[in-house]
Amino acid sequence: MADTNITTINTGAQPALWRLLQLVSPNLPIGAFAYSQGLEQAVDSGRVTDEAATYEWLSGVLSHSFASLEIPLLSHCYRAWQLGDESSVSYWNDFLLASRETAELHEEERLLGINLARLLADLGIDEARPWSQQSQTTLINMFALAAVKWQIPMAQAAQGLVWSWLENQIAAAIKLVPLGQTAGQRLYMQLTPDLEQAVNQGLAIEDEADIGQSAFGVALASSWHETQYSRLFRS
Amino acid sequence: MALSDARQGAGWQARLELGFSRHGTRTVLTHRLHRGPLMIQRPFYPEGEGCCHVYLLHPPGGVVGGDSLELQVDVEAGARALITVPAAGKFYRSGGAEASQEQHIRVADGAVMEWLPQETIVFDGARLDSLTRVELEAEASFIGWEITCMGRPASGALFHSGSMRQRFELWREGRPLLLDRGHWQGTGKEMQAQWGLSGQPMLGTMMVTGRFDEELDAMREALQAWPGHFALSQLPEVLVCRYLGADAYQARAGFTEIWRRLRPLISGHEVCEPRIWNT
Repeated sequence: MADTNITTINTGAQPALWRLLQLVSPNLPIGAFAYSQGLEQAVDSGRVTDEAATYEWLSGVLSHSFASLEIPLLSHCYRAWQLGDESSVSYWNDFLLASRETAELHEEERLLGINLARLLADLGIDEARPWSQQSQTTLINMFALAAVKWQIPMAQAAQGLVWSWLENQIAAAIKLVPLGQTAGQRLYMQLTPDLEQAVNQGLAIEDEADIGQSAFGVALASSWHETQYSRLFRS
Repeated sequence: MALSDARQGAGWQARLELGFSRHGTRTVLTHRLHRGPLMIQRPFYPEGEGCCHVYLLHPPGGVVGGDSLELQVDVEAGARALITVPAAGKFYRSGGAEASQEQHIRVADGAVMEWLPQETIVFDGARLDSLTRVELEAEASFIGWEITCMGRPASGALFHSGSMRQRFELWREGRPLLLDRGHWQGTGKEMQAQWGLSGQPMLGTMMVTGRFDEELDAMREALQAWPGHFALSQLPEVLVCRYLGADAYQARAGFTEIWRRLRPLISGHEVCEPRIWNT
């Protein structure tokens, strides 16, 4: 062993990648793990019962919500922060909040947004401070701000956003459906093309009239969750 | 820009403008302008002079690809207007061109607008782009619903092809309050999937400005008359009720239940159901 040559592989400095991994880590202390976004109700009502149905549900949210709402709005917020255009940032922030069509989804977006704004302010991003002190802050807007300040490229930011959402949803599905840990891992693999497609479609949307989600069943599930008898999750 | 200029020769280009003003205790239709086949009957006052009821008429009875219907409504300060239609809207199969339907509704301070159309039937193969944009001043109120039927399930004609893009939006003082959007494609997974329409042909969304926390439980209980078909949620400034099912009467019955309970809190007046709904 003493004579073994040790080769150092230089990956180059990639500060943006480390910041992205930090931003999408389940350790990010904003409390995202507490929300299921209607999945808990879908399980409770018997609409999501197994691994295949979980795949269908998550795939649908990716193609009919992320691809047409979250990713395009992340992109609009990102560009607005890049340009330092505060009125555009506010406009797209409000647009997203107005697209959260149930009390729980609205509250989730807002509380996670304020939590992330506080965290970013504590980490030295001064632009986040005013957003941590007002009530209409969205998670996606603050995610865009962090990505711009940490020089994470737009496409990677979009991949990160959708990945962090998927992590929460799979963790929720493992608890709720319930699913085994390996089934959870299979879902990551199976949903990879869906993730790619949602990001690519979402980044291609330019027209404001095309931004919005068409997951009517998710909105129903989220509304019904408000009065569900026994709940682990806040949405 | 005049819509007829943009799409001349493509189909019917209809536009109707209505303006309601308050004169003393009376709401008066003070502006009415129509071009093409979209018009109204004489306004009438089934519940006294404070609220003006209007029936929208579309004499061709149906819309084909390339047609456009445009409605502009202004409800001025303190006025109360109720708009409905005598029959379901019909959008027929298109050879390719998209039909469009746009409603722009402006409601001023102290005014109340009730937008209570019957259902819109989107035939198999139809292509429709529908926008209802409601712009409210600070103290304006709005109660409204939109009910869409994909295909004609009663005749066994399901919505297998075609597309429907639907936007129903509330804005207050230039800020979006609630943006409800949907894009339904006959060939898409959204028609059958549990996260989509679950195989149901009819969907509806009702929006009411304000907070009604005290009434929520009772309204939810009333909607239990149709279990699994209605969902209610109170957003910070808007109550939203959704319907998914297969029956336009059921959709309207549930929405009317909400309307019946909330109208007195908003305008101080009991509901007055348009008689045309019963014919």
